[in-house]
Amino acid sequence: MRKILLGTTAVVSAAFGAAVVTPAAAQEAPTVRLGGSIQAYYGYHNSTGQQNDPGTNTLSPGVQGGGANPVAAGNSIARLGKHDIVTIPAINIQVNGKLANGLTYGGVIEIGFNSMEGRQVQETRASVGRGTAAVDEAYIFLAHPRFGQVRFGDEDGPMGGLMTSGWVTGFGTGGVFGVWENFQNRQAGNRTQTAPGGIGDSSKIVYLSPQFFGFDFGASYAPNYGVMGQTGCPNNVISGYCDRAYAFRGATSVAIPAAGPEFAARRNEYQVALRYRGSFSGVGVSATAGYIGSGAALDMTDAGRQVRTLNDLNIWQIGAQASYQGLTVGAAYQRGDFNFFWGNTVRGDRSGEQLTVGAAYTAGPITVGANMYSALVAGSTGRSFSATTGLITNSPRGMQRRWGMGLGANYRLAPGLDLIAEYVFHSIRQQNVDLDSGRAGVQGRAFSNTFIVGSRLAF
Amino acid sequence: MIRSASALALILLATGCSSGGSRFVENEEYGTNNQRELILRQTGASSRDAGFVLFGTDRGRDAREALAASGGTGVAVNAYLWRATLETLSFMPLASADPAGGVIITDWYTPPSSQEERFKVTAYVLTRQLRSDGVRVQVFRQTMRNGQWVDSPAASSTGGEMEDRVLARARELRSQTAAAGR
Repeated sequence: MRKILLGTTAVVSAAFGAAVVTPAAAQEAPTVRLGGSIQAYYGYHNSTGQQNDPGTNTLSPGVQGGGANPVAAGNSIARLGKHDIVTIPAINIQVNGKLANGLTYGGVIEIGFNSMEGRQVQETRASVGRGTAAVDEAYIFLAHPRFGQVRFGDEDGPMGGLMTSGWVTGFGTGGVFGVWENFQNRQAGNRTQTAPGGIGDSSKIVYLSPQFFGFDFGASYAPNYGVMGQTGCPNNVISGYCDRAYAFRGATSVAIPAAGPEFAARRNEYQVALRYRGSFSGVGVSATAGYIGSGAALDMTDAGRQVRTLNDLNIWQIGAQASYQGLTVGAAYQRGDFNFFWGNTVRGDRSGEQLTVGAAYTAGPITVGANMYSALVAGSTGRSFSATTGLITNSPRGMQRRWGMGLGANYRLAPGLDLIAEYVFHSIRQQNVDLDSGRAGVQGRAFSNTFIVGSRLAF
Repeated sequence: MIRSASALALILLATGCSSGGSRFVENEEYGTNNQRELILRQTGASSRDAGFVLFGTDRGRDAREALAASGGTGVAVNAYLWRATLETLSFMPLASADPAGGVIITDWYTPPSSQEERFKVTAYVLTRQLRSDGVRVQVFRQTMRNGQWVDSPAASSTGGEMEDRVLARARELRSQTAAAGR
């Protein structure tokens, strides 16, 4: 029993503060705490898109990688190996305080050091260094025992992870939703391993209610997809990077978040969630139903006409999970207008749907688990916007099948430290569309196998 | 045999139930994509104790030092263990409960099925962490002899089984509140 308790506790997270009886009106000066995490993994990655046949790469290289004889655009050749070690450091600053009236307050800043995507590597010297710091989350919270909590800043929304149920990721690095993406290839037109999830922590305001008879709810609003601040918004160049741009040339092409990814056409995003948690004969249950909606920026023609080319984000999601002893099982299903990376669909696209299931079991210091997802979404190519005519070419866009599975195990050495082994498979299929542009012909299937062993430490 | 049966009855009575109504939802009950937080949660550590305090008071450290200095008293204790202990012992009359020190003392309790004996329990919640060694339960037993209550030994396993009940209930409470964090 005790081992089971320990194990389950390890999965569902550590015990936290003392707070046995909340003392009334006991003011506490703010405490500023510095912490962080270091993750280091060896990975073996076997996938499609690991080579470019001569004449197939359409990207023009930036600065050549030491070659004295740079190849011309259209003929660059790459061969990718299968082994690598990645390191993922992060630093956190956390503030907590309490006022005499019972209001607790604080904030979190998370600074990561591995935010550079493959597309930026291609720019080499024009880009930032690999270890450049980038803020991931940064928000202030104000909480009251009676009125709930408000978070203001860059943070996930209620359906972006705060209140969701059924996504079982408490093993390995998260299985198919884990860090395996760090090993993936990201060549143009061959982005084979974009995992679902990660709707983004764009600057927003979040309200989280107290719990009433097992139920709590949350809501959030984000004006756009942007994060952090912006000093100046140009309006004399094509700039969708401006958070406040509600119409700009190229909006259609950034339906899927791009460049960072902190650039997307999503506007006026809102999320609502209702969650129930309870215990029945020793079985802990959590269930969530929620909705994510948004508008989308308009594209523009040469003549300055605004054209609506994208559908609003319109996603319903339900999920549930149950925990008993050391076992947790869960499933979540979502359906609506979204494409494979929480992006807005192009008008005329099919809607998307996705199912994820998972299970994890903990016994003592060992946790094992598995999860998978399967999604049907709009295809990746087929429609384009003409800035001359203001029309969308209506070639068949088709349907894309994406699915992946992950198996993982952890061995906990100490609080904050564990060893990890994980395997993830991911597959994408779309008929008559080339998913591996580095090879001759039309490759309608892309896949990857990733094996990971490593360790992680949080302090 | 009688002693064991009585102890079993005592344990069977030691069932907890969740209270309804409104309650504040702690930050740790929400999911997160913060890598540090995820690792700490999955490896049994607490973000409120981890790291270094740059400014202000390290209340976690104060609590640990107080624990060391006082030999297990004078410290606020784990919320789940405390609530689980209270719920588990709620079928007995409560004599005192000290949340700062983590000590719960019940009054004497006579099981309905056995009027010839009575029990008294002292429970110590020892840690701020939800750990299997974070609670200790001592059971005292008296039996009626010649019209007087006299001390009698309780089954040695009774205390341990009560602790297991508390730990199981603490796990349930934690599962309830943190399940959605994954």
